[in-house]
Amino acid sequence: MIINFKINGKETLINLTKNKRLIDLLRDDLKLTGTKEGCSIGECGACTVIVNGKAVNSCLVLAQQVDECDVITVEGLAEGNKLSELQQNFLKYGAIQCGFCTPGMLMSAYALFLENPTPSREEIETAIEGNLCRCTGYKPIIQAITSTVSGE
Amino acid sequence: MIPQFKYYRPKSINELKSILGDMQDNSRILAGGTDIVPGFIQQSSRFTSITNLIDINCIADLKAIKNVDGQVLIGSAITFAEIMKNELIQTHFPLLTKAASTVGSIQIRNRATVVGNFVNNAPCADSVPPLLVYDASIKIISPNGERNIPLNEFLLNPYETQLKKNECVTEIIIPAPKENFIGDFYKLGRRSAVSISRISLAFLMHEENKFIKEFKIASGAITPIGKRFYEIENAFVGKEISSETFMEIASTLGEKVLETTGLRWSTDYKLPVVQQMLYQLLERNVGGISG
Amino acid sequence: MDNSFNIVGKAVIRQDALEKVTGRAKFADDINEPGQLYGVMVRVPTVHATIDEIDYSELLRVKPDSIIVDSTDIKGSKKIGAIRQDQPIFSFDKIVTPGDVIAMLVGESEDELKSLSKKVKIKFTELPALTDPTRSLEPNAPKIHPQYESNLIVHYPLRKGDVEKGFKESDFIHEETYTTQLVEHAYIEPETVLAIPLEGNKGIKIIGSIQNPFTARKVVASVLNWPLTKVRIVQAELGGSFGGKDDTMNILSARAAVAALKIGKPIKIHYSREESILESYKRHPYILKYKVGCMKNGKIIAMKIDILADGGAYSSMSPFVTWRSVVQATGPYDIENVWTDVRAVYTNNPYTGAMRGFGSPQPIFAQESIMDEIAIKLNLTPDEFRRINGFKAGSFTASGQKLENHDVNLLDVLDTAIKETNFTSKWKEYKSKTSFNGYQLDKISDTNAEQLILKKKDYINPNKLLWKGIGLSISYRGCSLGAEGIDAAEAYLSVQNDGSAYLLSGLAENGQGMRTTHSIIAAEVLGISPDKIYYLETDTGLIPDSGPTVASRSTLMGGGAVKAASDILRNRFEDFLRLEWKLKSQSEFIFKDGFVSVNGNPQQKISFSDLCSLAYKNGICLAAIGWYKSPEVNWDEHTGQGSAYFTYVYGCQVAEVTVNIGTGQVYIDKITAVHNPGKVINLLGAEGQVYGGVTQGAGYGLWEQVTTDGGKIRELNFDQYLIPTAKDLKEIKPVFVEGKDVYGAWGGKSLGEPTLELTSAAIANAIRNATGKRFYNLPINLEELLLRRKLFPKDLKRGSS
Ligand code: FES
Ligand code: FES
Repeated sequence: MIINFKINGKETLINLTKNKRLIDLLRDDLKLTGTKEGCSIGECGACTVIVNGKAVNSCLVLAQQVDECDVITVEGLAEGNKLSELQQNFLKYGAIQCGFCTPGMLMSAYALFLENPTPSREEIETAIEGNLCRCTGYKPIIQAITSTVSGE
Repeated sequence: MIPQFKYYRPKSINELKSILGDMQDNSRILAGGTDIVPGFIQQSSRFTSITNLIDINCIADLKAIKNVDGQVLIGSAITFAEIMKNELIQTHFPLLTKAASTVGSIQIRNRATVVGNFVNNAPCADSVPPLLVYDASIKIISPNGERNIPLNEFLLNPYETQLKKNECVTEIIIPAPKENFIGDFYKLGRRSAVSISRISLAFLMHEENKFIKEFKIASGAITPIGKRFYEIENAFVGKEISSETFMEIASTLGEKVLETTGLRWSTDYKLPVVQQMLYQLLERNVGGISG
Repeated sequence: MDNSFNIVGKAVIRQDALEKVTGRAKFADDINEPGQLYGVMVRVPTVHATIDEIDYSELLRVKPDSIIVDSTDIKGSKKIGAIRQDQPIFSFDKIVTPGDVIAMLVGESEDELKSLSKKVKIKFTELPALTDPTRSLEPNAPKIHPQYESNLIVHYPLRKGDVEKGFKESDFIHEETYTTQLVEHAYIEPETVLAIPLEGNKGIKIIGSIQNPFTARKVVASVLNWPLTKVRIVQAELGGSFGGKDDTMNILSARAAVAALKIGKPIKIHYSREESILESYKRHPYILKYKVGCMKNGKIIAMKIDILADGGAYSSMSPFVTWRSVVQATGPYDIENVWTDVRAVYTNNPYTGAMRGFGSPQPIFAQESIMDEIAIKLNLTPDEFRRINGFKAGSFTASGQKLENHDVNLLDVLDTAIKETNFTSKWKEYKSKTSFNGYQLDKISDTNAEQLILKKKDYINPNKLLWKGIGLSISYRGCSLGAEGIDAAEAYLSVQNDGSAYLLSGLAENGQGMRTTHSIIAAEVLGISPDKIYYLETDTGLIPDSGPTVASRSTLMGGGAVKAASDILRNRFEDFLRLEWKLKSQSEFIFKDGFVSVNGNPQQKISFSDLCSLAYKNGICLAAIGWYKSPEVNWDEHTGQGSAYFTYVYGCQVAEVTVNIGTGQVYIDKITAVHNPGKVINLLGAEGQVYGGVTQGAGYGLWEQVTTDGGKIRELNFDQYLIPTAKDLKEIKPVFVEGKDVYGAWGGKSLGEPTLELTSAAIANAIRNATGKRFYNLPINLEELLLRRKLFPKDLKRGSS
């Protein structure tokens, strides 16, 4: 099956020779290794990417299902060499320790902003409830997202 | 590992019907995929033998929530996130909105469908108790026609329903709401977010002049499958609204759950707690105590 | 904040953060080699058995060119271990726990290998499984490792004063038993390793999610029977470790290396979450018996402690973990008579080893719970009682060590926490209100079925469903390895002629932010910006063995070494400038903001980069090696007396909780964490350690538990093993009380582990304050709170294998 989709703004054609998940398509075929795999069952959120404006676990999506979709991964967040404000705030507030959860966290936060530019604290917490982080205790991450809202 | 199934993506109900007509035993409908895809990876015996997968996400009719003569029709490709955001459902079926918001994480809610939730009929399917108290039924199609069936009859045993091969659920039908119901959905998980239900239940009560006029209650997660308790409902219609009544309702639920489930490893915990929390819920919602 | 520092103590952005927010950071599984093959493990679904025969004939019939690697391919050590060599790379004689691996199949497709692995037929004879550590030392208990006399891994006695006399003189005795559970590190990145044979007989290069590259090198070299120099370990970005990517990763590295050399191709092994939880080691469950003799005036005069640790199937780090327990088991209290026994034993359970906290969270949970119980008995508040017994400068520890040469600020830390949280009045208020009106908590545990139906009196007044509580815990913690081992570290600093610098230390970045902390230290000394410093990747070929990155020693020991290297270079620059500018020998310099000026004559200055190029042209060596060795410590194995660690840090955490007595849910409203890390080097990093450690500690207190059924693990993935989410802790407040210390870089000591060790005890004490009930068994989950016991499914939902 040939699938045709947009990845980080670029139209892409892939000839799928076997069934696979979206995460495998991204990591193995497209070499976009920013997306991580931590559990393979939709519990950790490390594999979060955006499909048609919505955050999804790429370990739960079949590659076929992104045919004609718009997919954004962590590699698509910065504009050229300039980090997005969200990324900068992740740096500034210490939202990163080991960094393994970071791509998924960024994508969940990015999806939140697509839908709701001025989320409340609770909405922020809900947006990342499906992203496990074992290092940061979440507080710096929440602060980084909050600061992106207030433009601090 | 992902098996090398054949992947179908019908664009219309008719196309779906014709695919269903050619189906063999090892075919499955793919909606959210949140159970099937990890099921493949974990080599779960429920999924490894799948040879045909029919993705229904591109059928516009199944991707809709409609209001037809007061009834609400929810297409079987509708996700929990779409349920949560739907104003019609927020206004008329708030218990369903609430239940939807407790399912998994945002990422899961963006993919998982309400229908997929109960077609699997896991005891912890959070959408089931609200749908049961709203007297939902479902529409099933097959190549030769269609049938409607009340949800409580559709669910047979854990992970077992009335769905036959060659069939596909296309819609949930919720009858026009009665305005004067008060109700709530309750879910208890081990953590504050993204947990599997330990206990879930839903109730609706219509009170008139301090008496119970109508009452509906359904369980999830505490019984092997989601279940309405008609006996309890009938027994308490006409009773006065009071703390005593609430306690009696809760204890009666305890007895019925014990009857249905018997003693299981979790009963020691779940049974007292479900009674306690039903009582709390009734007091808070109907008794007017803010909790 | 100290104004005499330019960078130290401020919030500095991590050096590796840029790579990590763009997805460019390379974790082990992001690295691939052309032509690499995969390794897939073969296990046996049993807990304890002797292996009779491994039969590959069916596998070879289905796929004649199967590549199999097992113990027969190992030229060197077939079993490894830090103290006891009891853990096989591939099992060949016995299976002792379900994670054991018999063989590895190698090929291009992991999927294919997984189905082929079922074709390996292993004949084995089941042995009785030993899963209860209290039975391990019984004479007729099954022996896990027959080569040892018994299932005892280690026994540490500690004897101080005369404990029986102390009990006789006590006004009263308080005795209690506590238990803690098996928990998983739950780093979000599962284990991955890639072994690449180097051409031209240059040995092997291993890249992986490896916590301790030098230990991995030692293991791989001994398994291959090679000199250390032929094994190069390169650490990839590490997706969390918390002590957990040590033994397991060493063994995976060895398996990959053996296979890579057998086939002559790069081999990758990467684990699924299930395999990770199944095979990796965990935190020791403890059974802790405490007997405390106390005077009416609140002075503790005797304490007897008996601790049994479940080491699981292999000894691993048990001897080190339990040693810290024996040193710290009394808690930070000056007690005249102490008698402690700590034993670690073998069972068939998953093996246990190093995990953040390392033998301290368990005794702290018990000892701090007991302190509150005695305080309540004495009608004292928890802080009053602790002030009576807590360490002050000059106090003696249980091992007879006088606390001196560092800032013994335990009581400062305690007072800060009390003030910060308004502890005492809240504690008194919540305590006075406590009661379980009409709700017979203990009674409903009865399995008599009708009793589970609530009576009228069991229903809780809806306004009294939620109860608030506040609790505290305090600790002291020995820094670095202590008398556990040789304690020294090295750093290499090489300044370039444009003023930028390479830095590398022999310790490893495990996600904790060590590279940044070290860069700050070097930058502070040289007066340049930390982003002028380029941290080289950890590679065992480039830097001497500096011991393991454990025991929160990366700031203290690694930082000390970086400071030493930086000071060497700075002195060299100063000498050079004195000559160059013809200054007096006593003239001093200021290194700040990229410039070097003469102290007292700011006009005479030079930019750091010009200085570097000038010095370079004058033939000055711009590279230096710094070495930091800990002061002497000592320990008597027979009496448990000695100066166990050369310095200590102190902490106090306060938990504020709300308990739902209808469901047993505990909501964490706020954790205030007051710590004395010596000197804070990087504020952002230090706060990050607190947030993360507290959150892990809360998970330990309330939710996390790996349970086994006949030795097989139930919770193999994050749907069942529940770690805290973004919604589970409402607020965490870090507070630092800095000490005046001489060790390490400006007295920067340890923080990573103290943050975790206190939280569960503080929560347990808050629950006690809220409910009036003491809970003895972690985690205090829903069932524990309402029923005082745990409930487990009778069947394994997803098997261990
Ligand atoms: S890997 Fe997809 S959610 Fe964990
Ligand atoms: S930073 Fe390590 S898991 Fe989040």
